[in-house]
Amino acid sequence: MKYTESHEWIENGQENIVRIGVTQYAQKELGDIVYVELPTTGRDINAGQELAVLESTKAAADVYSPATGTIVEVNSKLTDHPELINQSPEDSGWIVKIKVSNPAELDLLMDRQGYDQFLNGK
Amino acid sequence: MKTAFEKTQSKQRAYTIPFSYETLSFPFPPELQRQSPLMLPEISEIDLTRHFANLAERNMGIDTNFYPLGSCTMKLNPRVNEVAAALPGFARTHPLAPDETVQGNLQIIDELIGFLCKLCGMTAGTLTPNAGAQGEFTGIHMIAAYHRQKGDQDRTEILIPDNAHGTNPATAAMAGFKTITIPTNAQGDMNLDDLRKAVSKRTAGLMLTNPNTLGLFSPVISEICKIVHDVGGFLYYDGANLNSIMNIARPGDMGFDVMHINLHKTFSTPHGGGGPGSGPVLCNEILKPFLPVPQVYKDKSGYHVKWDEPNSIGQVAPFHGNFGIYLRAYLYAKLHGNFGLRKISEVAVLNANYLKSKMGQFFAIPFPQTCMHEFVVQADRFLDKGVRAADIAKRMLDYGVHAPTVYFPLIIKECMLIEPTESESKATLDHFIQIIEAIVNEINADPFNVFNAPQSTPVSRLDEVRAAKQPILKHTLVQPF
Amino acid sequence: MDFISNKSPQIAAMLSEIGLDGIDDLFSSIPSDLRIRGPETDDGLSEYEGLRLMEELAVKNTFSSYENYLGAGAYEHHVPALVSSITSKSEFLTSYTPYQAEASQGMLQAIFEFQSAICALTGMDVANASVYDGASACAEAILMAFRHHKNRNKVLIGQSLNPRYGAVIKTYLQCLDYNIVTIPFTKDGGVDLDFIRKEADHTTAAILLQNPNYFGVLDDVRASFEIAKKESIICIVCADPIVYGICPSAKELLADIAVGDCQPLGLPLEFGGPYAGYMACRQDLVRQLPGRIAGETVDTHGERGFVLTLQAREQHIRREKATSNICTNQALASLASLVTILWYGKEGMKELAMANYQRAAYLKSRLQKINGILISHGRTTFNEFVAEFKMPLDKVIKHFQKNGIQPGVSLNNNSLLIAVTEVKSLQQLDRYVKVAQEVA
Repeated sequence: MKYTESHEWIENGQENIVRIGVTQYAQKELGDIVYVELPTTGRDINAGQELAVLESTKAAADVYSPATGTIVEVNSKLTDHPELINQSPEDSGWIVKIKVSNPAELDLLMDRQGYDQFLNGK
Repeated sequence: MKTAFEKTQSKQRAYTIPFSYETLSFPFPPELQRQSPLMLPEISEIDLTRHFANLAERNMGIDTNFYPLGSCTMKLNPRVNEVAAALPGFARTHPLAPDETVQGNLQIIDELIGFLCKLCGMTAGTLTPNAGAQGEFTGIHMIAAYHRQKGDQDRTEILIPDNAHGTNPATAAMAGFKTITIPTNAQGDMNLDDLRKAVSKRTAGLMLTNPNTLGLFSPVISEICKIVHDVGGFLYYDGANLNSIMNIARPGDMGFDVMHINLHKTFSTPHGGGGPGSGPVLCNEILKPFLPVPQVYKDKSGYHVKWDEPNSIGQVAPFHGNFGIYLRAYLYAKLHGNFGLRKISEVAVLNANYLKSKMGQFFAIPFPQTCMHEFVVQADRFLDKGVRAADIAKRMLDYGVHAPTVYFPLIIKECMLIEPTESESKATLDHFIQIIEAIVNEINADPFNVFNAPQSTPVSRLDEVRAAKQPILKHTLVQPF
Repeated sequence: MDFISNKSPQIAAMLSEIGLDGIDDLFSSIPSDLRIRGPETDDGLSEYEGLRLMEELAVKNTFSSYENYLGAGAYEHHVPALVSSITSKSEFLTSYTPYQAEASQGMLQAIFEFQSAICALTGMDVANASVYDGASACAEAILMAFRHHKNRNKVLIGQSLNPRYGAVIKTYLQCLDYNIVTIPFTKDGGVDLDFIRKEADHTTAAILLQNPNYFGVLDDVRASFEIAKKESIICIVCADPIVYGICPSAKELLADIAVGDCQPLGLPLEFGGPYAGYMACRQDLVRQLPGRIAGETVDTHGERGFVLTLQAREQHIRREKATSNICTNQALASLASLVTILWYGKEGMKELAMANYQRAAYLKSRLQKINGILISHGRTTFNEFVAEFKMPLDKVIKHFQKNGIQPGVSLNNNSLLIAVTEVKSLQQLDRYVKVAQEVA
């Protein structure tokens, strides 16, 4: 797994398809998530572009794509159960799957240790 | 408590229709008739009266409770304003009435604009925007229109400090601008170097509140305005905090080009549970041509309305805006005069600093310098006990005080923004400090009551998550079939 | 006068406790070149003088001494006496936006009931807590449609929309890259359906029609929307809420969004404001709905309560990504409308609408018989209609005014837009006819 400074995680899979979600830290900061605005599949996305929006009662947070590629799948369970992100942010609370066009982009991201250090610096 | 939709009783009624004995029977075409049943409740006059009286009992207001809601200026809503606004000579005037039949109204509009312009160092203005946010909308559109007229297509950015009220960036977006955020420094002011880096030929303008949302007056405000003017941008003044500087300093002198005033804040028009408000816009000579219509002008024969102006941005309201609201502000201004308005600002600022001087023992004060009419405290020292600003706010309700603004501005952690206003007496302020002390003692001893607050309001803490996840946004009558 | 509580004894004590010498020290952060000298003498007024001043100004308005037949978006209706006694209650009048829900259950429930009442009238699924007025409601509805159809940039707007509403819409869309196409109306006052057939395409995000339209004509809204739906165009109907007492609901008309102004329900003319715009829509558009929305929930004991909900759409959270910059709603005004709607209730709204229709129809039919007056549109009208005069309009108006009547709003082709509501007795209407005969 790799991590971004905006608290997204990205997990490599087969055939350059990666899974993306937000970290434990992010879900705690947001509080109870009440709604997830999911993107449509088939859409092309650039690194740094807005991928999804997570809404709590007091805040709305953008989820940014860590990589460039095409959206191949969204976690539709989140429509009726947005709380999955709070309960299991780094597993069953995943948000989208992207087929990345440039896997080398992921090498620039932080690993777990780097992310933890980043959090401690906060 | 039941809603009105749950109180329906068949055939009960409160209404009467005038002249119902005059039978007229023009046929109403069947193809134009409503087919679906009209599912409104049937309620008698006494039940309706009681229903709303009971609802009122479940609500706090300035009349009943101290309401130190920062950024909102919850001062007394004087009843004399209400008496004046209800005079039938005002209430029954149609907005399209011939000018000669509404000279009183037009005089009020003309005089109030003139008065506010002098107060703020501006040249011209409009009373038609219906609220502060719509005032911002008007002012930003005027700035956009100016650049458009000059053929300056590149002015695509509006600069906004990170402590700004959410309406500022929202307004900029509605006018098609990109927002560039300027950070606040550790002293609570705008960092001039950050500003210099952010301005460019793409800068259409800067939106600023001064004193800002932290309650602090920027000593470098003239410099800020110069930096933006030097690149050809405009300065927009968000007048939400005008209550602190009336007849002490003027936005026009600081360098602002256009501004709005929140009459429901500074000029005591009633908040009404969330509106209606009124957001007059004032500006200098440069932006005057772009003011919205309709406009009132005076000549030898009296006051007149014009609906066309070649460079106007057009209408922001269908008629003259919230006349009934700024009518109250007019009387408020007349009763106080410039002398009284200055006193308001002096005591508003004194009251705030008095409270602030006492709060230091309970909360962290991020900005120790003299504040203006409001100030920020940080309630984060109780996080180790799990107590947050939200909890403290709820516990205040149990002590009969409306909580201050919490979690705004966003840049201060566990923020509480406190604005007592000039209305409040020293005894009320001292009592508030006692309440804070009591709550802090509770937190230190056993925060149980704070976590479970409020307990003495008609309902205890409400589940906002459930309201957002399973929205129930109306009641309906059950079908009688 | 002022309403400042603290006087010299308290001020002195407070300054001393803070450790300041004088009031001026409080303003030391303001650069001296910006400080102005305050006025030396008290130029305020006593309460009595203030009220006398307002009374004198009110008397300078002579309008209320005339019988009023002006409409065009602001109508003279009976305001039930109950309304002011409720809206003047301290707890409603002097409270703020219900951000601390537990202390604001009264206002929140009132908003919830207002939303419910608007849904009952319009037949739509959800409504918000109100916006400034009918004009901004139209503009915000169009912006909703553009957000829904992100790749479309055209909106069709009926020419028979209130021109002042049209002007506000134009201002709202000014800086954005959208294309307004105007749907003409035909001779009989109805919308040109062929034009809609031609123009309603996949680049069109929304269609907006007013019903009854600016001329009081009950229009072919459903037929228009049927055409628009083929391209999934968002259908917006702007209506005087009273009309829903007898006319098809917005839902029956196939509208996606219903908007309008609540002024006819419980709000005095007050020279143009405060009024209250209503917005109601289909369930699936609710996240695009701007403004405040109250929702039902429970407290820690399971008791019913109300909160502002779906706030993540709003400016204080989304900021530049908010659905609108709107912050204030028209709370107290919407409360007045709610009280009025409930005062009339199910049967009363029907009778109120019918009374409006009947009285306007009566005047229209009598004027129709006068030589020199032509009723401009053949279609059914609600409580307003257009009459064209042979005599020059300024002479017509002057004559009516001499007889204590403001006969209507002037339109371009020597016509008057005449509004007749339930408050006009037959005696008054007969007098209008008599005066009209004198200038026919």
